[in-house]
Parts: sequence; structure tokens; C-alpha cells
Amino acid sequence: MFKTFKITFPLLLSLLVCESTLFAQEYTISGRVKDAANGETLLGATVLVESGGGAITNEYGFYSLSLEKGKYTITYKYLGFDDVVKTVDLDQNKTINIELMAKANVIGPAIVSAKSLEKKVENKKISVVKMETAKIKEIPVIFGEVDILKTITLLPGIQSAGEGNSGFNVRGGSQDQNLILLDEATVYNASHLLGFFSVFNGDAVKDLEVYKGGIPAKYGGRLSSIVDIKMRDGNAKRFSAIGGIGTISSRLTLEGPLVKDKSSFMIAGRRSYADVFLPLSSDRSVRESKLYFYDLNMKANYELSDKDRLYVSGYFGRDVLGLSQLFKINWGNATATLRWNHLVNEKMFVNTSLVYSDFNYGFDIKFAENASFGLDQAINDIYIKSDWTNYLNPNSKLNFGGQVTYHRFNPGLFSANNEDSRAIFQDIQLEKKKALENGIYIDHEYTHSKRLNMRYGLRVSSFSNIGGSEFVYTKDPQTNEPISALTVKDSFSNGDFYNTYIGLEPRASISYNLATTLALKGSYNRTFQYIQQASNTASAFPTDQWFSVNKNIKPQKADQVALGIFKNFDIGLETSMEIYYKWMDQQIDYRDNAQIAFNENLDGELLLGKGWAYGAEFYVAKTEGKSSGFISYTWAKTMRQIEGISGGDPYVANFDRRHNLSLVFTQKFSKRLLATASFVYSSGQPFTTPISKYYYGGKWNAEYDQVRNNYRIPAYHRADIGVTLKSKEKPDKRFKSNWNFSIYNLYNRDNPYAIYFRTVETEDLEKNPDAIVGNTAAFQTTLFRMIPAITWNFEF
Amino acid sequence: MKKFNLILGFAILLSACERIVELEIPSSDPTIVVEGQITSQLEPWEVRLTMSQPYFDQGTLAFVASADVSIVGTDGTDVNLIHTDSGYYKTEFSQQCLPGETYTLSVKYDGEEYLATEQAPLAFPIDTIASYYLPENNGFIEEGYYVFIQGRERVEKGDFYLFKAYRNDTLKDDFGSNLDNDEFGSVSFLNEDFDINNITSELSKGKTPRPFPFTVEPGDTVRVEQYAISEKYFNYIFDIEAQQGRSGTPFDPPPANPNNNISNGGLGYFSVVHKEEAQIVVDE
Repeated sequence: MFKTFKITFPLLLSLLVCESTLFAQEYTISGRVKDAANGETLLGATVLVESGGGAITNEYGFYSLSLEKGKYTITYKYLGFDDVVKTVDLDQNKTINIELMAKANVIGPAIVSAKSLEKKVENKKISVVKMETAKIKEIPVIFGEVDILKTITLLPGIQSAGEGNSGFNVRGGSQDQNLILLDEATVYNASHLLGFFSVFNGDAVKDLEVYKGGIPAKYGGRLSSIVDIKMRDGNAKRFSAIGGIGTISSRLTLEGPLVKDKSSFMIAGRRSYADVFLPLSSDRSVRESKLYFYDLNMKANYELSDKDRLYVSGYFGRDVLGLSQLFKINWGNATATLRWNHLVNEKMFVNTSLVYSDFNYGFDIKFAENASFGLDQAINDIYIKSDWTNYLNPNSKLNFGGQVTYHRFNPGLFSANNEDSRAIFQDIQLEKKKALENGIYIDHEYTHSKRLNMRYGLRVSSFSNIGGSEFVYTKDPQTNEPISALTVKDSFSNGDFYNTYIGLEPRASISYNLATTLALKGSYNRTFQYIQQASNTASAFPTDQWFSVNKNIKPQKADQVALGIFKNFDIGLETSMEIYYKWMDQQIDYRDNAQIAFNENLDGELLLGKGWAYGAEFYVAKTEGKSSGFISYTWAKTMRQIEGISGGDPYVANFDRRHNLSLVFTQKFSKRLLATASFVYSSGQPFTTPISKYYYGGKWNAEYDQVRNNYRIPAYHRADIGVTLKSKEKPDKRFKSNWNFSIYNLYNRDNPYAIYFRTVETEDLEKNPDAIVGNTAAFQTTLFRMIPAITWNFEF
Repeated sequence: MKKFNLILGFAILLSACERIVELEIPSSDPTIVVEGQITSQLEPWEVRLTMSQPYFDQGTLAFVASADVSIVGTDGTDVNLIHTDSGYYKTEFSQQCLPGETYTLSVKYDGEEYLATEQAPLAFPIDTIASYYLPENNGFIEEGYYVFIQGRERVEKGDFYLFKAYRNDTLKDDFGSNLDNDEFGSVSFLNEDFDINNITSELSKGKTPRPFPFTVEPGDTVRVEQYAISEKYFNYIFDIEAQQGRSGTPFDPPPANPNNNISNGGLGYFSVVHKEEAQIVVDE
């Protein structure tokens, strides 16, 4: 594998570089498109040639357009910005950097040109959803905390894993099948406060794209989705600040030029103060507890030359939850990305990144002065990747590159925390594991005609376990019993690549325009996943450890096909419908009574099988004008079939939600006043009920149905409302502020968080006066009833 | 791990609320439930047979009075258990199980036979039982008098224990069963490394024994029963208590039926254990 990689890669490169010279009498216009107000690069801006053809800026705002010698009228467009039109006399290669001005805050019917509608249908990629941070900020959320991950679950095909959980499920995939990237760095755990909030500070985020299907060959490593989040570059024009004071946290972002118009920095911080309210509790142990999170986003870029630009970005976040000195859990992500943009020539753009990503959690427990212990777990990645784009001609673009990732897993270190404890306790370190994951890809974007566009590519991925540790590997496939202390262990010498998997991942998407505002699109992709999270509950917790494939566990594999129809109406409506079917292999579930925490022999608790999911997604949106909003509806079915669960019969996955509906409506009343209302509905979560009770050990016990997830908790629905009042705009003043008021769960719905079964105890009579102690009953817990919140935001 | 879960769950519960709801859930046909234990001490053996019932059926417990119940052992034991009352079946004479021997319970009822087999474990008697005074709350247990025991472990790994402690004849199990094993080192309830002859000096060095988790008063009688049990029974108790300890938080275990040793779909457990006892009257 590695030999092949070494040989093919340079070969491929030289071929690709040479190819561009084959076109004679042709010149290239290239450059970057930026926001005139702050110098932020604009991603996905359209560069349109009047006589036909065009380009779209990449994630660094760069575009390249090769045309025959001649005179051209070129229009630069970006949603919410005024167009810029340039006339170019193309007789040599030209660099044209463009700055676009944001449209004035106009109230009134939007003027929707036929041309822009047309363009929108064309540019929409199948199974890809995008949301601008500005829009996300308008949608009301719990405690008024802007939360990009919560908000994207309003979009079709993306289901929230539930209240109080920042996890989400994409088209029948589990939560660990989503690759969350922040400036190319993997974020292993995207939750703050056990999932009440996500780790992304809305002020630091520029853009967010979610690939539910039609995943370009460039991305790999997860089965179901890619969430690509990009941080803002920082204002390159002048120093500025934005911030806010909210119910849960406060935040401040500082940004400015390092060298005006050439380089900038941004630093954004956020800290919660939920713990401020803990002292109000009547319970002493709650009063003495800690409960907070903070995070820091940093980014800087520097222009080395016309052809080279460096970006450094980083994220650091931490959560601390402590109970009266005795018990403390803390977790967090740290990522760092160093990127180098380089223009090989006008047609060839390269970005090379060196990325570090770490997620770790620890908990400390103090039984006594001489008995204080800690448990630490971590996953740590270093990777290098290089992505090349060759803008062959206006109709053809070639992307290729590769990535090498070195993973390190620490499944658990149990250690004494102080001198006295060390005297009586010897550290226990579960075997650390190492692995190498690689990917190379090639991908061609091709416009055949005005009607037909396509993109196809191939990714070749590989995963190798590296020796250096003892490894339990004999799992008898016949008995499928948990691994016991007696199981044969094998060890591999350091550096030994003792187990390798290779995956071929073809990807393709095609778009056919039936009419100027009507397009049919289709996609197919195969994905492999080599690392996954051990989670025994519906929620993703920081304590759920990541583990890799090995001799016992094969990589997960998925094939997905999707078909979509996109139609825009000239009253300003964008609509789409997509259907998908997904086949999944080597899906993981756990045997009954599995012990997955701090288990050296975790592999033995896993059961593997297949899964499949299908569904239909409908979306109607009105993006411009005084009244805007969208309706999204998804019908979906997610099944699993795993030997050893539910008698080997197919069963409904616990994140199956048959119906998902969300409505978001925004009304601008004036230049200063804006209100947004939203409503969500989703079918109840499947769960397993008892089918009888039996008396054993002096207590009633539930006998659970062998049929997994035989029942659903009642449906979830909720309405929220938010009102934003902006300060008066004064032309001479830079300071702007706004107040945001929101009410979460407007009609105070008692949404079930969980339903469980147990015997009624004396304490329950307080809330359930009619209950009889000793009877068996079903209990429902609810997390959030109506919650009002207020936030004040400013910028200058 | 369990304690850790409870504490975290507590944080979630800060804003959660809980109420009883009415649900229509499926029901299975009644199934036989076996609850039986035979020990290494000489005493009549007893097994109880009851029937399961729909989860929301609050009627009285249905017991089985007409089953044929017997136990055979590799040591030549072959005894019948006769129904006495309320589903309890007893041997006529006192019996004891011998370490290393295997015993099989057979229950014939309604044309079906249910079998359960276990091997009797080996264990040492309790060497010492003692009490000590903890002068201040150390975080997890408050100040007061505590009782602990000292005993020997087998050299080989794979010891599984259940301890039951009674204060003035009342079983203290507020924190669930006292289960312990030697997976991570030694069986901590056995306090092998604690010098029991010099309690005061050990305590002054900061070494504390692992006591049973309840305070006692001088004059109390505390009796401790030590059960060496099979790994399967250990897991059964652990899992059934984990299932009983549901709180509606995300930390709950997924619903599951504990693995038991009754064949033919029977519920409950038949355990074969090695039992030792010790008793102390707490003094100042």
C-alpha cells in the first residue's frame, strides 16, 4: 500500500501539472473575492462570464478562470452583496482581486432576478446543506445561546439526537458517523455541558456546510456526514470587536489587521457562568459544585507573497464539572491547524495543512485524603494533508490530494492522585493503541453543457494498526462470547503494521437542468469508517471512548444513493425534494449488559451487523424579503440487523425518527426590529419496554422484551420565538448593539426526555399523590419546560 | 462506576422533572421465576418458585405449588425439595455443598423442565472482624464507628464475593449489594494489607480499612456474611441492581435482562455459594 502510495502520488502530480499546458492561446484570470467591509474572503462567490461559463470561489476565496484571448464582461456575485461587473481585455494572465459591498439593510420586497434564480438551482449541490452564521443567529435557541449544531438539525435529513444533546444523526447514521471539522481539524466531541450546548462559538464561525450524501472524494473517515466548519479570518481593514452577554455565557471576539489588507487575526473567547446559580441550590453538594465551560478560537493569516498565504488557527475548549471537592470531571478538545495556500500557477491552487487534534477527558474522585484517584482517556491525532486544484478550463476542474493521519488512543489510565494514594495503589494503564490512517483521492468536476454537470472521483483509504502494545485478538466467531481473562493475547513489536484494511470509495454526483429553474440531481457515494465511539446510551458523552478497527472489528462501510429535484419559483421560493437509500455494513451495537467503560476487552462487548436507512426530504425556503423562512420535512426509516440482538431480526435503531418537521419564519418589521418563530416536531424515540415483571431478591424486576426498541416514547414538539431589537444606526458611529429576547418551548410542552420503569417509592408521592408505594409504574422525565432568555450583543 | 453515574445523573436532574405516565405496553405469557441458593453451611436447602405477571398488574404474587423440584450434585447429592408454603420448596434434612463440586437444580412444572447448574466456589473463613472510629467525614463516609473484616484471598485470580452486613439483625443494603472481586488487585473488603493488630497506629499513618458502608454505635451487634460466588452470579446481581437503579437520566443502562442460569427461558437465579460468617459487638 505504502509503496504504491509513494509511486503513484508523484506520478499523478506530474501528469496533472503538465496537463494545463496543453491548452494553447488561453489565458487565466485568477484572484480572490473578499468582503469590502472587513476583508473576509468570500467562499462560494460566483464569478460569471457574460458570454457563458464561470467559476465559484473555493474555501479560501480563490477563483481561477481560463478563457481564450478576448474581451469579457465578468460579474462577481455573492448572496447579500452588491454585484461587481468588470470588463476584461484578456491578452495575458491576469490577477483580479475583488471586494464586494454588503447590500444596504433594505426593507421591502426583494428583487429577484431570473438570472439569480437560475444560478441558485445550478449551484445547489445534492445532499449538501449550508447555513450562514447570520441566519443561524436569528433562530431562537435554548437559553439564547447561538448554537450552530443545534440549528442545523432544523434542516432536512439532519435529526437532533434529542434535547440536551448536541449530537445529531444524518440519514440513519449514528452520531459518531459525523465528521466534524473546524478549519480542517477533527473535533471529536462537540458538546459542552454534557451536550446542552455545542462547542462552536457563533461569533468565530464564518461558514458551515453539511454533506449528507454526495460527499466529495476529498473527505473521508466517517460514514454518514461531513460537517465542515470554517472560522472567520478576522477583519483585515481595521480593528474591531464583537461580543455579547447572555443568560448562560458571555463572549468577546477581537480582530484586526496585522498588516492592513494583507493579513489579519481573530481571537474569540467564551465562558459560561451557569455555576453562578449553583450556590442558590438548597442542596449542599450542589452548592459546592462546579459546572462551567470555556472556549477559545484563534486565527491569523499572513500573506507571504502574491502566491503564498499562511493561516494558523486553533481551538481550545474545556468543560469542568465538579461535585463538592470529591469528584471532578473535565473534558475538552484542542485543535491546531497550520495551512499554506500556494499558487503553483494561475490554474493550480494548493493547500497543505498540518493539523493536530486532541480530545481528552479525565475524572478525579477523592474517597479520602489517602485515596484520591484519577482516570484519564484521550484520543490524539496528527495529520498532514495536501489538496490540489487544477482549474483546467471553465468547464473542467480537477481536485486531488492526500492525507496521512497518525492516531493515538489512550483507552484509560487509572492513577493515584497524591503521594499517600500512590503508597497503596499502583497505576493501571490500559494498553495504548496507535494507528495510521491514509487517504488519497482524485476528483473531477466537469460541466458538459449548460444542462449537464457532473463530479466524480475516487478515494482510496487505508488503516493500519501499529504494534507496540499487547493486543487481545482472539474472539471466537462461533461462540461470539465476551472476551474473558482467559482469551489468548498477542503482542506486536513496536512499529509493526500488524493489521491493514484498504477501502475503495467511489463518489459521484450528476446534475441535469430540465429548465432554467428546474434541475434533477443524483449522487452515489461509498464511505469507510475506521474509528468509532463506544456509546451505550442514546446521548454522546465525553466519557464515550473512541476506538479503532483491529483484527476483531472490521471497518464500517456505507453505500448511499440519493436523487433530488430542485425547483425555484419566481415568487422567491426555493424548493427541493430528495430521496435516499443507504446500506451500512459492520454497524456496532452492544450485547445485553455490556460493560463498556474502562474495559480492556471492549471488543468482546460489541456485536456487529448491518444497517439500512431510507427516506424522503422536502424543503421549501424563502430566503429574501421582509418575510422569510423555511419548511423542512423528513420521512425516514433506520433499521439495524445484528446477530445476538432482537433474536437476529431487524429492529428499529434507537435514533430512528419517522417524521421530522421544522418550520422557521422570520419577519422584519423595520430596520431595527426582527422576529423569528420556529416549530419542531419529531416522532418519539424508540425504546424497549418490559413485557412482564417478576419478583426476585425482594424486589419487582422488569423483564424486557427481546424485541429491541419495541415501543416509542410520545412525539417531541416545541415552538420557540425570538425577537431582535437593533440599536439605531448612526452613520458616524461604529458602535452597534442589539437585544435578543427569546422564549424556548413557548407552550410549555412536557416533552419526554426518557421513559423508564420502576417501583413507586415514598418520595414519589410528593409529585404523584395518587400513586401507591410498591406498585410498578412508568416514569417520564422532562428536561426543559418553557425557558425565557435575554442576550445583549455588541460590535464596534 | 455506578456511583460515578449517579453523581453525574444528579447534575442532569437539576433541571429535570419526573412524573408517572400511563402507557399501553405489550405483555408476555407468565414465566416461571426461580429464586434459590444453596451454601456450604449445613442447613435445609430452599428454593422459591413464582410466576411473572404483566408489568402494570398490581395483583398479588402468583406462586407455583405443584412443581417437582430436585437437586443433584457431583458429590453424590440427590435430594427432593418439597413445597411448604407460598412457593417455597425445602429439603427434609440439612445439606451442604462442597467446594469444587457441581450442583444441578431441576424444576418440572406444567410439562416443562427448567435446569440450573453451578459449581461451588472455594473460599477461606473470615479471620477477624473489628471496628474503628473515623474522627471526621472523609468525603464519602461521615465520621463515626465502622465495622470491617479481614480475610485471605485465594492466590489465583477470579475471586468473586458478596458481603451482607447486618446491624442488630437488620440487613444494611442502602447502597446496593456489597460486591467485590479481584479484577483490579485485591478484594478490598478483605483488607489484606491492613495491620489489624495495630489499628490506631495504622489509622495515624493515614491508612484506613475499607469498612461496610454504614455507621454503628457502641453496643451494636454487627454480623457479616461472606459469600464466595460464581462470576455469573456476581454479574447477575450487578446487572439486576443496575437495572433496578434507573433514574431516567442518560446514564441509565440500556434495558436488558441479566444473564441467568435457568434453562428453558426461566427467570431468576439458582446460586451455589460458599458462606462464612463473623459477628462483633462494637465497643468504644
